[in-house]
Amino acid sequence: MRATLTIALKEFRGYFIAPMAYVVVLFFLGVSGLIFVLTMAMPQAATNHYRGVMQSMVFITLMMAPVLTMSLLALERGRGTLELLMTRPVSDWSIVLGKYLAAVMIYTGLLIVTLLYPLLMSVGGEVEWGTILSGYVGMFCAGLAFMGIGLFGSAITADQIAAALSAFFILLFFWIMGFVAQSVPSGLGDVLNHLSFIEGYLEFAKGVIDLKNVVYFLSLAGFFVFLAERVVESRRSV
Amino acid sequence: MIEAAGLTKFYGTHPAIQDVSFRVSEGEVVAFLGPNGAGKSTTMRILTGYMPATEGTARIAGFDVTEESLEARRHVGYMPEHIALYPEMRVTEYLLYCGKLEALETKKLFERLEYVLEACSLQERADSIIATLSLGYRQRVGLAQALLHDPAVLILDEPTIGLDPIQIVEVRGLVKKLAGKHTILLSTHILPEAQQSCERVLIMNHGRIIAEGAPDKLTTQVRQAESYRVRVARPSSEVADRLRQVPDVLNVQSGPDGAYGVDTRIGSDPRAELSRTVVQMGWSLLEISPLELTLEDVFQALTMRKESAA
Ligand SMILES: Nc1ncnc2c1ncn2[C@@H]1O[C@H](COP(=O)(O)OP(=O)(O)O)[C@@H](O)[C@H]1O
Ligand SMILES: [Mg+2]
Repeated sequence: MRATLTIALKEFRGYFIAPMAYVVVLFFLGVSGLIFVLTMAMPQAATNHYRGVMQSMVFITLMMAPVLTMSLLALERGRGTLELLMTRPVSDWSIVLGKYLAAVMIYTGLLIVTLLYPLLMSVGGEVEWGTILSGYVGMFCAGLAFMGIGLFGSAITADQIAAALSAFFILLFFWIMGFVAQSVPSGLGDVLNHLSFIEGYLEFAKGVIDLKNVVYFLSLAGFFVFLAERVVESRRSV
Repeated sequence: MIEAAGLTKFYGTHPAIQDVSFRVSEGEVVAFLGPNGAGKSTTMRILTGYMPATEGTARIAGFDVTEESLEARRHVGYMPEHIALYPEMRVTEYLLYCGKLEALETKKLFERLEYVLEACSLQERADSIIATLSLGYRQRVGLAQALLHDPAVLILDEPTIGLDPIQIVEVRGLVKKLAGKHTILLSTHILPEAQQSCERVLIMNHGRIIAEGAPDKLTTQVRQAESYRVRVARPSSEVADRLRQVPDVLNVQSGPDGAYGVDTRIGSDPRAELSRTVVQMGWSLLEISPLELTLEDVFQALTMRKESAA
């Protein structure tokens, strides 16, 4: 547990040194800020519109997650520092969870910063905090899943770009299934819809925290973190 | 302190090491000696818990490296062959991170930090960013990291590889200083290095341990003669003939560069006699020096002995 935190904190600090992380953070805050400003410029800016902002933020998160996570394990493997880390009295789970936690921490930080937008809105008018809260729970849960997929991408290769691309394709796969669902027979379509991110997330944005959707994102996160751990462990015996 | 029994490791179908067994007692300094590809790193990676053996068992301080891996790892300080550090970190920051991974208490950690910075002569560079350090300094950071938690066992994989001669002497000195405080297993493909730093060598070739013993004992076992290199200004067959007549000389061969390889009886040192002979004959003596036994000589002798025994 202590080792997990040690690794998470080191990795978290690392985010403030790597230029890539700054680019990603600026991208996230910049784009969501821009969308927010544009939304606010519309007459009768309200919670309704902020829903749109939250929806686009989830999509930005999807694009950002692979970049934010690509270095976590791939860089250590590429540089050779993983060998030393894996001979320290630290379990593979601590390593993987520590890395994951760092990504989750930075993402949570970003989400908290974006809470400024609805706060600003509340100065000018009425805000439905319930819907906003639900949207943020959704974004947080979706982020957990996205970061888990990113971590898995980073575990399977020593190359950061390959890691980011793998994660991105997996994310895109889950995203696209929602669209595919609409154009196939309803039986299959339902299955695909359940597998896709979109439907689950849209419900959050509507203001409904459905346990089913929380479980969906959390199990996705757990599944991919678990896979990442398996990969790290199996690489020992190559 | 280190026990390996029947270690075998396959990479796919290729056996990197086969049936490697040895023991290192507490406080011993032992070298793994062998050419590249012999299986030294593979054995060390198993001992440090980085990867499991395909077959066989190993124990560090009594703990099985696969069954009780975390406990075993706690007792090992490891310096891998290719020293890999986090370039963006500062030396102290890196060492503190390593210490926290070892779960050292804060007070102990700072005591040890001070000690390893001093022991590895790193004080002046303690605040440097690792990326700015020379290879020699990085090697020291690697060693400092291995020493940080005061492990019973130190495993150093080719600790002097890539260093310049001055740095090599420094690292050897450091190993000498640490001997006695830790049980040390280091690997090298350079014979003199094993001879100078270690009490015992394990000679490895093609994934197997082919001989072991004290370095001087091994060399005398291997050596059938002392050898010297004698170089004169104008070599001729007369020179070789005359050198052969010097007492204790067993054999004289002329080399391509005008030097003679002179084999003499074990325990003799006829250098004075040789030089007198050359000078008396009016030839100019350019060089006379003992020929160091090389790893190749040792291997040749060992494999030859095996063949003749078979
Ligand atoms: N990761 C690996 N995958 C496949 N073969 C390997 C790997 N590492 C080492 N080998 C092979 O195993 C043998 C032993 O290598 P190694 O233990 O590195 O030797 P040494 O350290 O003595 O130079 C060599 O033939 C090498 O090619
Ligand atoms: Mg090696």
